[in-house]
Amino acid sequence: MPVREPVSKVHVEPPAPRKPTGRKTFIWALINCAIGAAAFLITCVGLHAILPFPEIDGGVSQKFRFFAAHKDEFDTLFIGSSRIYFQISPAIFDRVTRESGLPTHSFNFGIGGMYLPESAYLLEQILNLKPRNLRWVFIEYDELQTKWSPENQTSRRALYWADWKRVSLLLRKLSDAGTAPLWLPNPAKLGDIMLRQKDEKNTRSLLAFYAGQLEKNYTNVARAADVPDYFLIRDTKERRASYLGAAGDGYVTRPNRMSPGQATAYERGLAAAMAQAGTRPLSPYTVEAYRQCAQEVRNIGAAPIFLITPSTTQINIAAESTGLAGVVMAFNNPRAYPSLFRSGVRRDGQHLTKSGAEEFTRVVAADFVELARAGGIK
Amino acid sequence: MSFVEFRFLWFFLLVFIVYWAMRNNTARKVWLLLCSYAFYAAWNWKFTFLVLGSTTADYIVGLMLGRSESPTWRRFWIATSVCVNLGALVFFKYFNFFVSSASGFLAWLGLPASVNTLNIILPVGISFYTFHSMSYTIDVYRGKQRPVSNFVDLSLFVSFFPPLVAGPIVRAVYFLPQLVSGRKFSNVDVRGAVMLFLSGFIKKACIADGVAPTVDRYFAHPVNFTVASAWIGVLFYAIQIYCDFSGYTDMAIAAARLLGYQLPNNFQFPYFARNVSDFWRRWHISLSSWLRDYLYIPLGGNRGSRGFAYRNVMITMLLGGLWHGAAWTFVIWGALHGLALLIHREWIRLTEGLKWAARAMRWLAWPITIYAVCVAWIFFRAHDLDRAGTILKQFVLFRGGGNEHFHRWLLLLVGALAFIHWLNSRRWFAESWRQWPAPVFAAAYGCTFAVVLLFVPPHYTPFIYFQF
Repeated sequence: MPVREPVSKVHVEPPAPRKPTGRKTFIWALINCAIGAAAFLITCVGLHAILPFPEIDGGVSQKFRFFAAHKDEFDTLFIGSSRIYFQISPAIFDRVTRESGLPTHSFNFGIGGMYLPESAYLLEQILNLKPRNLRWVFIEYDELQTKWSPENQTSRRALYWADWKRVSLLLRKLSDAGTAPLWLPNPAKLGDIMLRQKDEKNTRSLLAFYAGQLEKNYTNVARAADVPDYFLIRDTKERRASYLGAAGDGYVTRPNRMSPGQATAYERGLAAAMAQAGTRPLSPYTVEAYRQCAQEVRNIGAAPIFLITPSTTQINIAAESTGLAGVVMAFNNPRAYPSLFRSGVRRDGQHLTKSGAEEFTRVVAADFVELARAGGIK
Repeated sequence: MSFVEFRFLWFFLLVFIVYWAMRNNTARKVWLLLCSYAFYAAWNWKFTFLVLGSTTADYIVGLMLGRSESPTWRRFWIATSVCVNLGALVFFKYFNFFVSSASGFLAWLGLPASVNTLNIILPVGISFYTFHSMSYTIDVYRGKQRPVSNFVDLSLFVSFFPPLVAGPIVRAVYFLPQLVSGRKFSNVDVRGAVMLFLSGFIKKACIADGVAPTVDRYFAHPVNFTVASAWIGVLFYAIQIYCDFSGYTDMAIAAARLLGYQLPNNFQFPYFARNVSDFWRRWHISLSSWLRDYLYIPLGGNRGSRGFAYRNVMITMLLGGLWHGAAWTFVIWGALHGLALLIHREWIRLTEGLKWAARAMRWLAWPITIYAVCVAWIFFRAHDLDRAGTILKQFVLFRGGGNEHFHRWLLLLVGALAFIHWLNSRRWFAESWRQWPAPVFAAAYGCTFAVVLLFVPPHYTPFIYFQF
């Protein structure tokens, strides 16, 4: 019987593990990049959801905190720029409506320098508080602002409202891309923007600025201080009075009158504005922004009212056929409201004195009551 | 486009992906070259022609030096390169300074002259890329570098975007060999690079930009502030300039590493230097070594008498100060450092072998050095000599000052940052993250970056060294 030879004692090396090829390493690197990016985005979204309302100067945070603490006390809200802040007295408004048999309890949420889109963002935050008794929201009516002065561009005031809803409208307006779901920038305008021609010398910078603000907002840039501010900031009486006014209703008075020289210049400017033929409608982007505001107001059961203030820069704004989904109360016609345009009650072309503001408030209240009684406010 | 802006992230992502997707080394280099010019054009596209002009001039000079045996012709060609590069630098950076200084001098002599200054825009990074370019031609002249026949290689060396606008100053002998062979992604220390980028980002965007408003407020009106606030202002500036510059350098080195290229280290914990000579071996290392090799040594260096060597030190430091900016405050800053270097040399010479001196310096060396550096920073940052004088009185003589003050807890912040910096120099922060599985590292990195952004101020402060 043949003897089986023993198994060969030659040592066979196991096959070496295959080193990843350069291409595989690169692909794995891309996958890990995607994991990192996903972790980054999820953390940003999570932080965005839990961070408190930012501490913004100019009275924004003070008024927001106050309103949040008293949200169910008010049935009427005024929101807009200094043309609301220094010109609508809730005490006078409420007195007139009460005497007319339509009692209201109003709050002035005007903030100096606050225009669309910031006012639309703040309105949305206010409405998200779900104030139970809110019935009427007066929204200042003016064109969507796209320009920011260089010194203000770096402030938090220019950053906190820059969400997709606001920034997309700004980008559309700057590139004239229309308000339809599909963005179709105007080719001629795009060419001018790229080449910095005609009126578009700064548009490219503005587009980059707003895109950057959107990125910073969603990645919570500069939000670390909001956490200690939320717990530590306590408004002093003086601070509250400076932003909320002596009556704590959001109205602050500005009594200054114009000098004779200023009054002469104002009257000349007024005459020139009145001499301009025709009216100008607001841009479709502004109308779209206000349409969104109106819808948000209606969603909580209140009625939006758009308010055009007596300002020389708003004289030519078209009050009729605006396409807005809401009633427009216009006080921008000097012929219809001469008492609001005489130089004796003006601080400047944009603002009224204390007595002018009180007169304006009475007129707004009276017109509001009339409109409400006629069923014009829906 | 700055490294701390979001658009740089998108830009770099595109550069990175396309770069490594290519296999051909030449194609990669051309892609990087185009991206580098696009990066520079984001500042001002017109000045890309200046970069191209400087590169072309030095390319021709390099080739001609390679072909020329005659010493006369070789001197002619190197002089051409130096004149072209320094000529551009002098015109764009120093024309108005020299004109207004000359006018001031003539007025002082009683000979008022009517002079016209030009409205000249300073091209970003001109001080850096001209030095990159000159290092090539000078090394070719010296025989340390062979002339490069590939224009793409030389262009990429001069215009490579990570160090283009604020350093580190890269030498041809260091960088050109890296362009010869293709980079392998498997050799890239991706984790180390992204962590270096994060560290640079924190230094620049969180710390430097965080202290900038305090510094700006103090240096704008120093006379309004108390002496304690003067100290806070100056110390904050020392923190700001270090974190700003070293942060930028870290990000530049990291970006280059991610593309497979090594850049020289530019900072080595300079604020722990024990004397001014040591400080200059740790601060802006690429500039100090460039000045040593291309200015100090050609002037004679340490050869010759003590007086001759000291003269060379002062010339080098004065020109080094002037390199930073077209103002007398920068020249004085350079002079102060030159003086400090001479004082240190004399001290070494006079106290050699003296035990008491060595014992004293064990405790005093560091505080004296950091104090001298901070005093010099006053001139570096002050708007003008008047304000520098006011700050000096407050910082050195504890005199003068107004009533405005910063919170004293800011001094605690200085202490805390110094302590963290010291721990970092002792390598206390372990590199355990190198052991983590790659997906875990990636996820942790993403979360950390999102948290870091909370601490970035809303305002963007340009890199301090962009103005140089």
